Formats: sequence, C-alpha cells, structure tokens
Amino acid sequence: MTIDYSFIVTAFWEELKVLPLTLLITIVPLFFGIIFGTVIALIRLYKVKYLHYLASFYVSFIRGTPMLLHIMIIYFLIPAVFDNLAEKYGWPVHSRNIPLLAFIFVSFTITASAYLSETIRSGILSVNPGQREASYSVGMTTMQALRRIVLPQAAGNSIPMFCSAFISLLQGSSLAFFISVVEITAKAKIIANNNFSYVEAFIAAAIIYWGISASVEKISSMMEKRVQRYNRGGIA
Amino acid sequence: MIQLKNIHKSFGKNKIIKGIDLTVSKGEVVVILGPSGSGKTTLLRCINFLEHADEGEVTIDNFTVNCKHCSKKDIQTLRMKTAMVFQQFNLFKNKTALENVIESLIVVKKMSKDTAVQKGMELLTRVGLADKVSSYPSELSGGQQQRVGIARALAINPEVMLFDEPTSALDPELKGEVLAAIKKVAQEGITMIIVTHEVRFAYDTASRVVFMDNGVIVEQGLPADIIFHPKEERTKQFMGNITPDNSFSANSGKTN
Repeated sequence: MTIDYSFIVTAFWEELKVLPLTLLITIVPLFFGIIFGTVIALIRLYKVKYLHYLASFYVSFIRGTPMLLHIMIIYFLIPAVFDNLAEKYGWPVHSRNIPLLAFIFVSFTITASAYLSETIRSGILSVNPGQREASYSVGMTTMQALRRIVLPQAAGNSIPMFCSAFISLLQGSSLAFFISVVEITAKAKIIANNNFSYVEAFIAAAIIYWGISASVEKISSMMEKRVQRYNRGGIA
Repeated sequence: MIQLKNIHKSFGKNKIIKGIDLTVSKGEVVVILGPSGSGKTTLLRCINFLEHADEGEVTIDNFTVNCKHCSKKDIQTLRMKTAMVFQQFNLFKNKTALENVIESLIVVKKMSKDTAVQKGMELLTRVGLADKVSSYPSELSGGQQQRVGIARALAINPEVMLFDEPTSALDPELKGEVLAAIKKVAQEGITMIIVTHEVRFAYDTASRVVFMDNGVIVEQGLPADIIFHPKEERTKQFMGNITPDNSFSANSGKTN
C-alpha cells in the first residue's frame, strides 16, 4: 500500500475547517466542568448535609461509566422528557428543534464535572491547612478564606491537571460523531469514505489533535510559571 | 481582659486539656512553658477556636463564648479580637508581605485600600521590613517571614496576640531577630499569650509564667519565681532539665 502524501495535506485543510467546532465542544464543557466541579468538590470537602452523599454518588457513577454512554443516554433521554413536557404544557416546540450541539454540551459537561471535581478536590487538598488557619485567625469567613487564599493557590497548583483535563476532553470530543456532530474525527471519516483514502485522512486528523494538545501543553507550562510567580524562591 | 473557664479538649480518647482556668489582664505578657505534649499549643488554639474546645467558656473583652453552644458568628466575633502568630509562619503564599498584612484590613475590616496600605507600611516598618513590602513569602528568610506574621497579627489591632512557638522553626540566629521583634511589641503594652520553649526569653519578657503539664496548669507566677524557685516537684524537674542547656543561671540577667 502506498501513502498519498499530497492527499494528507488536502485532508488536513478540509478537516481544519471543523476545528473551531471541535474546540467549542471541548472548551465549553471544560469551562462549565470547572464551575460545577468546584461546587461538587466543595460539597464533598465540607461534607454539606445530605448533598455530599449525592455528590459522591454522582462522581462515582459518572467516572464508572463510559463517556459514550453519557452521550447516548442524554441523546435519548432529553428528547423523551422534553416532548412529554411540551405536550403536557402545550409548548409549541418539539425535540427535533433542539440543536445536536446542545446534547453534546450537556453530556460532556456532565462527564467533565465529575472528573474535574476530583482534580479540583485534590488541588484544594494540596493547599497547606495552615493557609486556611491563618485566614481564620485574622477573622476571615470560610468563604473569604476560600475565595482569597485557598482557591487561588489550588488553581495555581492544578494548572497541569487542567491541561490534562483539556486534552482528555479534546480526545473525548471525537465521540460526538456518534450522534452525527461533524467534528474532526467525523470529518476525517467522511473524507476517507468519499475518497477511499483512509490512512491519509486519519493521519491528517491525528496531526491536528496532536498539534492542539502540544500547544495547550506549552501554554499550560507558561501559565504555570506566571501564575505561580509567588513560588519564585522555592521555600515555604 | 481574657478569661478561660474550665476548658476541656480531647482528641478521640486522648484528653489533652483537663479543665483549665486562666485569666489574663490587659497589658500582661503571659508565657506558657511546659514539656511537649502538655497541651500548651492546644490551649492557645482553643482561645481563637482553631481547635473547638469540648467544654468551657472563653471571654475576651466582655464577650463570652460558651464552647458547647456557640454559633459561627460568635466564633467570628471572638476571632476578630485575637490574632495568632504561627510556628510555621503560615503567611499567605500567594500574597506579598504588604498584602499579607493588609488582607484582613481590606477583607474583614472593609478599610479603603489607601488607608490599609498606609497602615501596612507602618507595621512593616515597625518590624524592620520596610524594604520587603513587595516580596513574596518564598523570597523571605524564616525570620523575615515571622516578622511579617507579627505585623499581620498587629494589623488586626487585637485584644490579645497569641504566639504559638513563634521561633521553634528558626535557627538560633534568626530566633534572635524574631524574639527582639516580639519583645518590642510587648513593651508597647499589647496583651500577649506566648507558648514557647525559650526560657531566657520568658524570663526577660514575661510578666507572668504559666507552667503546664499533662493538660493542667501546674503553677504560675513571676518569671523569676517559676523558673528559679518553683514550688511544685514537676516544675523543678522541668526547669532543672532545661536551664543548664540554656547556659543561663539566676545570677545572670536582671536579678543580682
């Protein structure tokens, strides 16, 4: 078998057209995942009455089931529930009108929140307890201590882990093609099918994924240096 | 005035504090001495509720909190009347020296940034660190960090300053600069409760020494009395063990 190098280039440019969409379905869930993940992590760390059982179950269940199943369940569950409600309350809409992307955003955010909550939990635990005690000793409330002292340090410590989370989500985004969202992998498959050049199309896709991952790693290590400038001396 | 009444604290089955009463008047500098594990640090941490005592009452400046039934707000109010200097300094790692000092002024006391900065500069100057305002804790020596810790505690303008073995993590040279800073503040008339192993410092600075062992106060009194003429057997044993190590005898210093 021979590889048509020039077709790799052609496929590359074709696939690059769906890069913005791929990044969108990676970054939006990452963003909301960090927000919900922080809430879940805090609920578990502070053992908020009853809620922490729910939070623990959520994290355990989501991490214990494949991401593909989350997509499928959301894809079939939401329309059913939505149509029931629409019928009951006479809304003039149907689940057909829900854009496909919405399912992806919802299911990816559900997955990302569970994984990120563990990342954030360990980030918060990595902050020396003395930092919290010092905050209390000067009269800060728990919320003030978290917002001003603990979370900024936890975030600084967690940058490499957020980078890993981004990369995992990016690779995971290829699963969106199961519900026919055309992101990079789906696009590669279409190009491959149309031209019978499977290897070339997929190699092009691999190059794009790797290119993004490598750039994000680079950005992450730069951010780490910037955000943690307070660790310059290396002691304490 | 600070009053502790019948403070009890256990960790699991370990009884650490077994019913302690202690009253400290305004302007007093009380040094708590005692062997490791005697409950000194725990007692100190019960005063500002970093440890929640199981039983007893803490009164500071006519505000009384019962350890058994107290709200978060009670604890908050009490904490704002105290300030603590920690053994491991515990400076806010993500803040500069100046930001460490003014954090409570801005966040807790809602002072304007300008006033806070001005006060912060004054305090850092007082502990001899005017040139380190924009350094992060990781860029400071242990002694400098602890002096920032003292300035941070002073910023609250507390009724009482609590020192938890402030020099135990420092080498002998750095100890000196921190002890000098504490002494200077003590002479300004701020009420202090200091847990330390520095007997010499206790002798020089304290207005009263409290000797603790095994979760109770064994005896208390003037520094010279407790250190050189203790009445209780346990105190004699402890002071007998440590005074020679400090190469420090009754004939040196202020008594003749």
